[in-house]
Amino acid sequence: MFNRRDFLKLAAALAAAFGGGQGGGLAPQARAALNKIDPRRVPKLLCLQGLSCTGCSISLLQAETPSAMSMITQYSQLVFHTDLSSTSGAQAMELINAFIDGEAGDYVLAIEGAIPEDMPSACIIDHKPFAHYLERAAVTMSGAVAIGSCACDGVIPAAEGNPTGAIGLAEFYRKRNINRQVINIPGCPVHPDWVWHTINHLVLAGSPKLINGSPEAFFDRRLHEHCPRYYDFQEENFAKKLGDRGCLFKLGCLGPITFADCPTRRWNGGHSWCVNANAPCIGCASPRFARQKSLPFYRLSEGKTSRRS
Amino acid sequence: MKIDIGPITRIEGHLNVQTTVENGVVTDARCEGEMFRGFEIFLRGRDPLDSQQITQRICGVCPYAHAIASSMAQENAYRLSVPPNGRILHNLIQGANHLYDYLLHFYQLCALDYVDITSVLEYSGKDPELSRVRDWVRAEIDSGQRYPATPFLPRLSGRYLNDRDTNLGAIKNYLEAMSMEKKANQAAAIFGGKFPHATSIFPGGCTQEARVDLIVPYQSLISEVRDFIHNKYIPDVLAVAGAFPEYWEIGRSRGGFLSHGHLPLGPRPDNERLLAAGVMFDGRVEAVNFDQIRQHVNSSLYSSPTNLQVRDAAITPQPDKSGAYSWIMAPRYAGKMVEVGPAARIMVDYAQGHNQAVKELTDRLTGRAGVRVSQLNSVMGRHLSRAILAAVLADFLLEESQRLTPGEPTMAAIDPPASAEGFGATEASRGALLHYIRIENYKIAKYECVVPTTWNASPRDDQGQPGAMESALIGTRVNNPEEQIESKRIVRSFDPCLACAVH
Repeated sequence: MFNRRDFLKLAAALAAAFGGGQGGGLAPQARAALNKIDPRRVPKLLCLQGLSCTGCSISLLQAETPSAMSMITQYSQLVFHTDLSSTSGAQAMELINAFIDGEAGDYVLAIEGAIPEDMPSACIIDHKPFAHYLERAAVTMSGAVAIGSCACDGVIPAAEGNPTGAIGLAEFYRKRNINRQVINIPGCPVHPDWVWHTINHLVLAGSPKLINGSPEAFFDRRLHEHCPRYYDFQEENFAKKLGDRGCLFKLGCLGPITFADCPTRRWNGGHSWCVNANAPCIGCASPRFARQKSLPFYRLSEGKTSRRS
Repeated sequence: MKIDIGPITRIEGHLNVQTTVENGVVTDARCEGEMFRGFEIFLRGRDPLDSQQITQRICGVCPYAHAIASSMAQENAYRLSVPPNGRILHNLIQGANHLYDYLLHFYQLCALDYVDITSVLEYSGKDPELSRVRDWVRAEIDSGQRYPATPFLPRLSGRYLNDRDTNLGAIKNYLEAMSMEKKANQAAAIFGGKFPHATSIFPGGCTQEARVDLIVPYQSLISEVRDFIHNKYIPDVLAVAGAFPEYWEIGRSRGGFLSHGHLPLGPRPDNERLLAAGVMFDGRVEAVNFDQIRQHVNSSLYSSPTNLQVRDAAITPQPDKSGAYSWIMAPRYAGKMVEVGPAARIMVDYAQGHNQAVKELTDRLTGRAGVRVSQLNSVMGRHLSRAILAAVLADFLLEESQRLTPGEPTMAAIDPPASAEGFGATEASRGALLHYIRIENYKIAKYECVVPTTWNASPRDDQGQPGAMESALIGTRVNNPEEQIESKRIVRSFDPCLACAVH
């Protein structure tokens, strides 16, 4: 929503604000490069959906600072997204194919959802399997971002017993010996900040530092380590039933094995997050999220089931 | 001439519609659901309490509706008695989700079919937001890029609004709606933990507490959204309706209407609801009987038996099945096609003279538009229905939040039995949603979801009857058969969600 001059001013202001901050810190050379940013090089995001629920896209709209609208017009350009694009049908396919064929300039491929490796026709765009577009894009894209746990690791559509053989984007490329790095931003859904700040980092300072393929700034610590109920855990003040306060570990909280900054970042404009609502973390940012039948989210019936069955 | 108009954007998910156009008229339409994950398959064998979490991931646009339907199905199965606070919190969470969803649908998903975004280039006033949009669009168009001002351009050919002030007002409200949608979701997240995909919703209630420091922020956020609904959303719908009056006739579905009823007014799911349940054929409303619902699969990509009741549901994918053209099944009520969604919710409630606020607002706004209540079955009717429901719901949520008793329990104690079965029915923003769970040996033995867009975007059933959306498309006159902005306005008026429809 800003013109280019405004963008440059803002980018400079942002750089000043980021200076020295952890994760977002700019190297001096990057800061110098900022003054030379050509706004036409604002990353163009080509968003395609696989086996997804659109929850991550909807989550991206919940961003506060900057807002989603600022992000897609000012800090990046959204060249296509099925939920927002005015265009459709053959006109939309012409645009998508122009980018994927490398005829419309640089772009970052942003994928939401998993890929049905064993059943390609379980996800179709314009009569062709989703996989078809991913293979072609691998040649032309500047980079790839896997948005949400499905795109990162398959998770829900890849749950045990699934019929489609769903996998994440990085594994999809690995299986084809395509050597393209994928930045994984997990979460079911993703937190909007995790994605938008990664995009901002890409444009302002290059690729962010990654840990296990995900931006270190958001995924370097276990949720449990910075949980405000850590003290309850230490004091062995455990919730005994759903709805209780206290540490939720004994109800099945997966905070101790889930890497994400939910306790400090919070969700939806900071109004809440799962544990704040006395709801155990179900590990939605974890690569193993929801995969195994033998690992239920809650421990309420766990003992009972094994005893009686 | 057969023309595919997909991929259809500004809906959820993967949908193509194959149309047949003769002499500028759509003579046939086939809705092709193009994505399949298999929830009902991988839910089998899981812990039943996983289901209100897993089924939310069917749809990230309306996850709470699935959480509530699943919770109600389990409450029914476990014979749970939900404390009043628990049911109220369910209503507050799900209701706030509807408000966001109606605004998202009208502004982000549909407005670009009617509003002329390029009119912003003529803006010469002082509003900072509109000036920024203007400068951005101008800079984009001047940049020489092959595709400037995405995602708002390019767009299909067709007639757009030509009144400059209406266009500018709508563009401004497009932006403001996005912040209102966030506020509605923030209100929901206060009790839900987060949006999308709440972790606090359980059968038996909600883990969040009923505390004054949560209730008041909820009310404050919903009040802001309520004001936007009355001052911007309803006038914008009426303005678009006034400029496109032909859409009160276009997009009429040719079957009955089904609503499961929305928001129980007491702790039990079978308590009276804010909006009454019912199935309506030829203007007559009957009580809903779940045993009358059967899912046909002759046109769907499954080898499992057809015409099964919900309880007996089966699902075996067969991607190469000949003669089938969609992953969507074709549910039918007593063998007949029905439309579900906002228009169905209003017409079913109105015909029973049930909710006075619905009746009063429906009479007033259809009166102002100069149309009959039966014309809610149309493109504009579906838009107006959402606006009416948003207004009624916002008032209800503010009242309902005052019924919470701070300090009282919000959750029942849960003790899932070894074997049980239950139905849970509610209204997602897109229409009637039914979940069924059967538990054997403490595990899910069967789970079945009959979801709004499964009804609306269904393919031909075993008798060859088209689905509601297919029937609404057939007979439509289109100016540009390759693009068909008219058909897309019809499809979008149903607010299809393909992730829901197939799951």
